[in-house]
Amino acid sequence: MNRELYESIFSAPTLMATAPFLVLSIGVLVLLLAEVVPGMTTLRKPIFLASIVVAGWYAWQTIQGRETWAFAQTYVANSTTGWWTMLFLASTAIAWIFGQKYYTGDEAALEPEHDILMLTAASGMVLMAGSRDLLVFFVGLELLSVPLYTLCGFRRARRDSVEAGLKYFLLGAFAAATFLFGAALVYTGTGTVTFARMNPADLSSPLVMVGAALVAASLFFKVSVFPFHLWVPDVYQGAPAPVTTFMATGTKAAGFAFLLPAAAAMLPNSSTPVLAVIAVVTLAAGNLGALVQTDLKRMLAYSGVAHAGTLLLAIAGMRNDSQADGATQAVLFYMAAYVFTAGGAFGLVTMLESQTRAPVTLESIRGLAQRRPGVAAALALFMLSLGGIPATGGFLGKYLVFSVAVRSGMVAIAVIGIVLSVVALGYYLRVIIALYMQPEASPKGEAAPVRAGAGFVALVCAAMVLVLGILPAWFLDHVK
Amino acid sequence: MNFLSLSVLVFLPLVGALLVAATPSKAAGMQRAITLLTMLVTGVVGVMLCLDFDGSSAAAQHVESVPWFTLPGGIPVQYKLGLDGVSVLMVALTAVLGPIVVLSTWGHIHERVKEFMVWLLVMQTGMLGVFLSLDLVLFYTFWEVSLVPLYFILGIWGGSNRLYATIKFFLYTLSGSLVMMIAVIWLMYRTHSTDVVQITSVAGSLPHDVQMLLFGAFALAFAIKVPLMPFHTWLPDAHTEAPTSGSVILAGVLLKMGTYGLLRFCIAMFPAASLEAAPWMMALGAIGIVYGAFLAMAQTDIKKLVACSSVSHLGYVALGLFAMTAAGLRGGMLQMVNHGLSTGLLFLLIGMIYERRHTRALDQYGGIATVMPCFAFFFVVAVLSSVGLPGLNGFVGEYLILLGAFQASPWLAAIAVTGVIFGAVYLLMATRKLLFGPVVHAANRTLQDLGAREVVLMVPIVALIVWMGVAPNTFLSRSEGSLNEIQRRIDAARGARAALLTPTETDRPLLAERSESTPR
Repeated sequence: MNRELYESIFSAPTLMATAPFLVLSIGVLVLLLAEVVPGMTTLRKPIFLASIVVAGWYAWQTIQGRETWAFAQTYVANSTTGWWTMLFLASTAIAWIFGQKYYTGDEAALEPEHDILMLTAASGMVLMAGSRDLLVFFVGLELLSVPLYTLCGFRRARRDSVEAGLKYFLLGAFAAATFLFGAALVYTGTGTVTFARMNPADLSSPLVMVGAALVAASLFFKVSVFPFHLWVPDVYQGAPAPVTTFMATGTKAAGFAFLLPAAAAMLPNSSTPVLAVIAVVTLAAGNLGALVQTDLKRMLAYSGVAHAGTLLLAIAGMRNDSQADGATQAVLFYMAAYVFTAGGAFGLVTMLESQTRAPVTLESIRGLAQRRPGVAAALALFMLSLGGIPATGGFLGKYLVFSVAVRSGMVAIAVIGIVLSVVALGYYLRVIIALYMQPEASPKGEAAPVRAGAGFVALVCAAMVLVLGILPAWFLDHVK
Repeated sequence: MNFLSLSVLVFLPLVGALLVAATPSKAAGMQRAITLLTMLVTGVVGVMLCLDFDGSSAAAQHVESVPWFTLPGGIPVQYKLGLDGVSVLMVALTAVLGPIVVLSTWGHIHERVKEFMVWLLVMQTGMLGVFLSLDLVLFYTFWEVSLVPLYFILGIWGGSNRLYATIKFFLYTLSGSLVMMIAVIWLMYRTHSTDVVQITSVAGSLPHDVQMLLFGAFALAFAIKVPLMPFHTWLPDAHTEAPTSGSVILAGVLLKMGTYGLLRFCIAMFPAASLEAAPWMMALGAIGIVYGAFLAMAQTDIKKLVACSSVSHLGYVALGLFAMTAAGLRGGMLQMVNHGLSTGLLFLLIGMIYERRHTRALDQYGGIATVMPCFAFFFVVAVLSSVGLPGLNGFVGEYLILLGAFQASPWLAAIAVTGVIFGAVYLLMATRKLLFGPVVHAANRTLQDLGAREVVLMVPIVALIVWMGVAPNTFLSRSEGSLNEIQRRIDAARGARAALLTPTETDRPLLAERSESTPR
């Protein structure tokens, strides 16, 4: 390593560029320390929240600041990565606050470790979004994945949780190996793993194309795109609900945050039709799969697959888009709406699950509107937003993504995609039907009160869904 | 801030909905009062705005335009509302029916009153927004938002098979809407604008095949909403399961969103494509008229009968609009309002008798006229208006439509005329079975005649029915300017098309007869 590079690592711009990541890492270390220092254990929650808030403040500085490249062109901080960081932090906060008291009564689950692992995973996401290099990304990916494997199996005493953890670990390890193999092939063909140093002429060699395809496949695994989505329903259902919330929103956002620049840097033009077909098939697989589910976590898992398909449409259209940053903006907006919508929906499921200690199904939420109008109204709003009904963020996200597809000339694909998303309403509406239009399954007396924290976050999520749908100007103007 | 503005009109019901939502859930009286008051004020504001409207001008009036957000590519999306000749009658109809619908709920909504009132008010905002939006994205937003309240109204307060009907209604309409969304996006990036007025003026310069595809996408969405014949199956189900007030909104206003869309977004925006598709659309209309009439004839459930008659009556609207002649356009416009009033009134009356007898089977009635003379009077008025008795509103609309259709295609007009006869057959037969003859069922002997509330809520509709029958120009003159403008665009497209086609092309007899010079 040359001296110049060595010095640049500790320069002020670099530190500023990586500040959100550093803050989260320091937060993890402090949390670890807090567990062993007497008297500091009570500070766990404040430290957790403080790390998120401070990281958020630095992310806001990144958004407003100029684009900064660090570590020899392998890491970038600009307004886009700043927004991604904000989304990861929001996702972490939503999952964490909804998950309070979730593990109460489960002796095998160790809450301090839970928080530490979650914060570690969040720092991994930040690294993933900023990386412009396959290996830096891989570090971020593992920083995210390894804690998630543990978190999925966090309720050691419960069979389904352990099963989810094991399943995710085995498949995840396989995906990681695929990624490394792909990266190795790309390196063989181009002589570098950094996007900025790749020579466009090298990218069309078969070796590099196979490598890029393998890298894409492992990313598709993370964001649950067909045919790599089969783990999703089982893991989402088996994992503890707060972890599911975190995975469904954060991991997906992190995956797409990197998929955008990676696809722009490495995939050849000929990949467009392939990606479009994969997107449509993913939409079909997700929506048709969700249609037959009765367990809400499973249904939302399949719905997440369908949403990944929609987002992939934007990535497929990215190359021929007449607007340079159109796809990035569309995906970012879509994910922003998705983090609050799906975060809120999974969060409410977490809350209901921790109150009833039973899986949340279409059966168990019947007539919820009578007992708890607020929870039902929020859940209904999230369903409408997931379904892309206007006046919600979900609609505008969909509108922007399909705009990319139409601008890039894929009108027919867009029509097929949009018709498939009619199917989605079939199951989202079933949730609303259960909430509002069916009598209570078994009146179990008074419902437990909604905790202040969960109620507040649900309210924030609902408000964000509406603000993104009705007053998107502020956000759209800032995401450029 | 000016109180008489379109924004106030659109969002007043929403404010009312928030107020109702804030009341304690047991206070049904308060919720009803707030809703009625809001609807009344909205109605007054709406009617005053429509009165303060110059019908001779084609320009949008009372326009409000504020930048909303900017889409990638620097396309500004506006919050733009405006009243013009295409929307003015629809807005008036929506505004007038609002309080009437609220009054009608006194009789049949006793459970979860608060939620119902909230949805009713949100619905009103959605529908007014659809008619007043002059920005594509805003229009689309209101268009889909207005689906949600009816979904809840149908799903919560509907009949026994309501869940099936509500899902069917939602998915049917949505599949059309989403295809329209792609068309909206495409149109937006082709014209670099979302302003309806601006797009209307430049859409003609798009390549012909693009125009055809866009026309097709919009027409599909609107045809499902109207509904035109092959897409109509959701409507009888929805009507049968809906509570009375839901049916009145559905028939009175919601279906008009489809015909309104056909006029504003298909005919006015793509006149060339419309001309090409006109024979097909007219044929769908004519088939719908006859098919709907036959469907209605076979019904034993009075509500389903009226629902099927809607398919028939809206067939007239499509026939008239796509005749694309001066008479046809005016007839179609008028028939939209007519159908809203007369079918709305019929649904109200059916609701009233259902509240008393809890059945809608025709064979459970008979001789009601002797027991409920007041009810019988209103019912006969509604039926006569619906079958097109001269002197009442239905006649004017149907006459103009058939006149226009005859100029465009005598054959289709001939088919459609039979619908007038069939219409009289099923409606008068139903009237006979319901009202006249001996009272066979003991339960019918003790039925109470209409109360003051029920009479009061129907009087405005009856007054309008007579007014429109006697002096239709009061209403038509409001649309004059806009319809003339649309006619001008159609004629221009027709001229361009005639120049393209060689005179030897004799396999298109429709074209020769569709010229404006045909003697009336």
